[in-house]
Amino acid sequence: MSGAPAPATVVATLAARRERRGWILFAIAAIATLALPLAVPLQAYHLNILMQASTYAIAVFGLTIVLGYAGQINLAQAAFFGIGAYSVALGTATYAMSFWVALAIGTAVAAVAGAALGLTSLRLGGHYLAMVTISFQTILSLVLANWVSFTRGPDGVTGIQRPSILGHPIADSSHYLVLCIVALYIVGYLVWRLGHSRLGRSMQAVRDNELAAGVVGVNAYATKVIAFTLSAVLGGFGGGLFAGGFAYVSPDQFSFNESVVFLTMALLGGVRSPFGAALGTALLILLPESLRFLKAVYLAVYGCAVILIMVFMPEGIWGWFSALKRRLRPVQPVVNDAAPPLPLTSRTAQAGDAVLLEVKTLSKHFGGLKAVDQVSFTVRANTVHALIGPNGSGKTTLLNVLSGIYVPTGGEMIFEHRPITRLKPHERAANGIGRTFQNIRLFTAMSVIDNVIVGAQRHGNEVEGGDAGRRDLALAALGFVGLASRALDSVQGLSYGHQRLVEIARALAGNPRMLLLDEPGAGLNHHEKQELVGLLKRLRGHGLTIFIIDHDMNLVEQLADHITVLNFGRRIADGAPAEVLRHPEVIKAYLGEEAHRAVA
Amino acid sequence: MGIALQLLFTGLGVGSIYALVALGFVLIYRATNVVNFAQGDFAMLGAFAMVVLCIDLGIPYGVGIAITIVAMAVIGALFNLGVYYPLRHRSFLPVIISTIGASILLENGVLAAYGPRPQSLPGMFETQGFSVGPVFFDSQYLLIVGVGILLFGLQYLFFEHTILGKKMQATSQDKEMASLLGIPVATMIMLTFVYSAMLGGIAGILVAPILFVSVSMGSSIALKAFAASIIGGFGDVRGAIVGGLALGVVETFGAAYISVPYKDAFAFLVLFFFLLVRPQGIFGEKISEKA
Amino acid sequence: MPLLELDSVVVAYGKVEALRGLTLQVEEGEIIALLGSNGAGKSTTLRSISGLVEPRSGTLRFADRALARLGPESIVRLGIAHVPEGRRVFPGLTVRENIVLGASNRRRAPKAEVAADLERMFATFPELRPFADALGWTLSGGQQQMVAIARGLMSRPRLLMLDEPSLGLAPLIVQQVFRVIADIRANGTTVLLVEQNAHMALSIADRGYVLETGRLVVQGKPAELWNNEDVRAAYLGGRVTSAA
Repeated sequence: MSGAPAPATVVATLAARRERRGWILFAIAAIATLALPLAVPLQAYHLNILMQASTYAIAVFGLTIVLGYAGQINLAQAAFFGIGAYSVALGTATYAMSFWVALAIGTAVAAVAGAALGLTSLRLGGHYLAMVTISFQTILSLVLANWVSFTRGPDGVTGIQRPSILGHPIADSSHYLVLCIVALYIVGYLVWRLGHSRLGRSMQAVRDNELAAGVVGVNAYATKVIAFTLSAVLGGFGGGLFAGGFAYVSPDQFSFNESVVFLTMALLGGVRSPFGAALGTALLILLPESLRFLKAVYLAVYGCAVILIMVFMPEGIWGWFSALKRRLRPVQPVVNDAAPPLPLTSRTAQAGDAVLLEVKTLSKHFGGLKAVDQVSFTVRANTVHALIGPNGSGKTTLLNVLSGIYVPTGGEMIFEHRPITRLKPHERAANGIGRTFQNIRLFTAMSVIDNVIVGAQRHGNEVEGGDAGRRDLALAALGFVGLASRALDSVQGLSYGHQRLVEIARALAGNPRMLLLDEPGAGLNHHEKQELVGLLKRLRGHGLTIFIIDHDMNLVEQLADHITVLNFGRRIADGAPAEVLRHPEVIKAYLGEEAHRAVA
Repeated sequence: MGIALQLLFTGLGVGSIYALVALGFVLIYRATNVVNFAQGDFAMLGAFAMVVLCIDLGIPYGVGIAITIVAMAVIGALFNLGVYYPLRHRSFLPVIISTIGASILLENGVLAAYGPRPQSLPGMFETQGFSVGPVFFDSQYLLIVGVGILLFGLQYLFFEHTILGKKMQATSQDKEMASLLGIPVATMIMLTFVYSAMLGGIAGILVAPILFVSVSMGSSIALKAFAASIIGGFGDVRGAIVGGLALGVVETFGAAYISVPYKDAFAFLVLFFFLLVRPQGIFGEKISEKA
Repeated sequence: MPLLELDSVVVAYGKVEALRGLTLQVEEGEIIALLGSNGAGKSTTLRSISGLVEPRSGTLRFADRALARLGPESIVRLGIAHVPEGRRVFPGLTVRENIVLGASNRRRAPKAEVAADLERMFATFPELRPFADALGWTLSGGQQQMVAIARGLMSRPRLLMLDEPSLGLAPLIVQQVFRVIADIRANGTTVLLVEQNAHMALSIADRGYVLETGRLVVQGKPAELWNNEDVRAAYLGGRVTSAA
């Protein structure tokens, strides 16, 4: 590998190059838009439009986070915008606060309201969230219009003050616009960074596959609440700036219709990127001004646009361009295959008698169906323990109970001497239990490497070097399964066998103590299966315990130190492979009543 | 006591409307697993159709009602084709956003065509109603309750005692299996939308003489109907009816004894309470864990 | 001329190919077993025949008619019934309603005829009769499997496709299900059977096909498949028996 850079460096370089290009574009845009209001004298009308566009865009960034990154709907962004706006309005006009204090209060109130809404409704499905946010929007509109003594009612609030910086009041509209644009760029940059951060990746993982995210160690509920709260914060912040710009606010500026406008902006531009949000906002604010003839029906046109975008351009304009770019210039494979070694493999451990996992009389019933019925077994550290049984015998249900997806009906599980029976999936991941799924569950809209990084960033997985360290670890895991060269590909472009390997790499990147594999051999051909066996054999003896379900007896025989057999949810055999596979009941369960030993 | 009985009667009348719209929600939800956020706008369209036909064009009520119901059936079919069908293989989020888009389109389309001024439709009866003791039975409210009971009954007969009803139930329970049996799934879903739009339209016809007919009436009814169906237990037909009636009563009493301007907020407060304490609603199964 | 003919059928979900050029024939009156490990493409084969998935390329012919782009609702009318994996009994409908809906493909079938067929089903599966008015979700796995098969037969198919009928059933019930399958063939219906219980399936099949990752590996009479070392080792649990 003389001279050729290691893939870790290649990936880092590519990322850096992309980042640098982004920065240059970003800087050009920033300078241009900042210079415009200072250099060119603008009419008040144009100033207003630009002020509206920049403050709206900040609120739309909130939707990028909650809808684009985390996949949760928020139909109350205008309410949060209104909270911020009224805080600044009432704070400066009624209570003579400084603009900054009022803005901080508004942002904080929006945050609290967002957190409260999120905490109550994000445990339930998306319909509930849609409903709850609409309800909140409606209630807030009622309060703004009817609590006259506080909000001044439908007449609205006038006399809103603008801020001063270091004693210099920003009274001039063009100067205030510069402030708004600076805020826009800072917030836009932060939202863009968020998308490439640990938290942002967790959000996208939850969006793409909530179940898998949990098992990989992401606290899905907390992540969704944070995303929702951040979105409310940006709504409040944008609203506060909006109020300062216009010196007048009234309840009808923050109605459900405006929430819909925010939503349309995000969807039209492209909900998964802040660039899309900015683009959508600019288009929808600037276009209607040039399409004045639409004025009477502009909201009807918005409604129609929403449907058309959903049908024809679900990723929005920005998403459409990104896809086009990917098609014209596909990702080059990372040529060098020498990935750094997986830290796991430098660990050694002997199979011993130490108990890693103890399962005691575990049951899982669905109504009257006893899918898992009083099953007990012990998994010893550093062994390969196989769970076999006919289809429908309860193996996957048992695995779902072990990884915390199902709450058991009875019994208990003890992992490394700690009870884990009541722990949630992400808490089990934090304890060092990783798993793969029979029906592959990857984060489909993310790249191969990002999928694996989500695995690496689980709570309790100490990685030196922060994000860069996790990236190296993810590459090491990909290298271990032989996929380092595909790191930058989209996972959807991989073959079935490779997708399975990415799932294993994702689990390995979390440095698990125990790895649960649900039919890793399913759908692989003979050759791929032998590679899988080789891979799992290489994992042996490195302090990793493997618990595997598979139907292929050949594979199980080659790997297992210990076998537990289930049939109809009950354990029918448990022990060393040689004895278990000779057990008459096992043969019966596998072969049906008449033993076909005669044929063999 | 007399006032309370009076309020109870009024509340049940209002609640019947919520129940009718909630029923539309539930039927579409069960057939497509998607909440139709434009369900309330079907009521708005029904009410506006009555204003246009019976006031602007001077057509007699009976004929107007018949035309409106037929028109709503057509709108339901178009809605299915334009808003749901192209997205039927996608996840729920794009679909509900699409129905929200449709809601905006319908409301603002009517607004553009008819202007913002609320319209009113005179009562359908010569006599205002009659009194029994301290309670005044308004004839329009009696009609609403009566039509509600009739529709619930007919719907029950249809779903439980006809083969078409059984096919629609099968479709809502397992679309793929239904198609394997030769049940035309797309047609069943089309029928569901048609029927739900008709239910919404009937609700609109019934409330038009009580409320002002405005473009926003639909979304406020829909929000409450949706709240009602969550309170009753989402996806459950009994839940939609009980939840709708309960919400109507709570709201009427709240307006009478607590505050009129915040009348619309009571529904949501009850909803928040349920989401916190019993999110599965009155009749709902515990929200199931499923891998 | 075979009743059913698949020629180089390719089915893909996104970029993942589940069937990579499968060719097979089913003659009228046969029981054909489709074997292979999980993920080999057995269910996908049935799904492509019944029209639940559209093949990317290749042709399917049934009774000398091309099945391309027909969709499940039309295909069942041609006489193909598909009893999918997991039974898929409508949970909120009664046993009787479930079975009667099986006749949905028969347009304008006289009521009396459907009632007579229902009666035949209860005669074939006498243990279902007491549960005629029980809702689907209250049934045991074995009862659900019988309802699913009865529902499939109500369409009066020429070809009945069964996906894993023994899944999760007790051995005694499995034997009963297989006796019923043999009877169905005896009455003239062709059967295409997907089974993981290879021994059971081959014991009643006339021929078997073994799939691996969407391709045909080997086909033949049950005895030939049994005597093929590779096949036995990889798919028939041969190692289990040879260890004994």
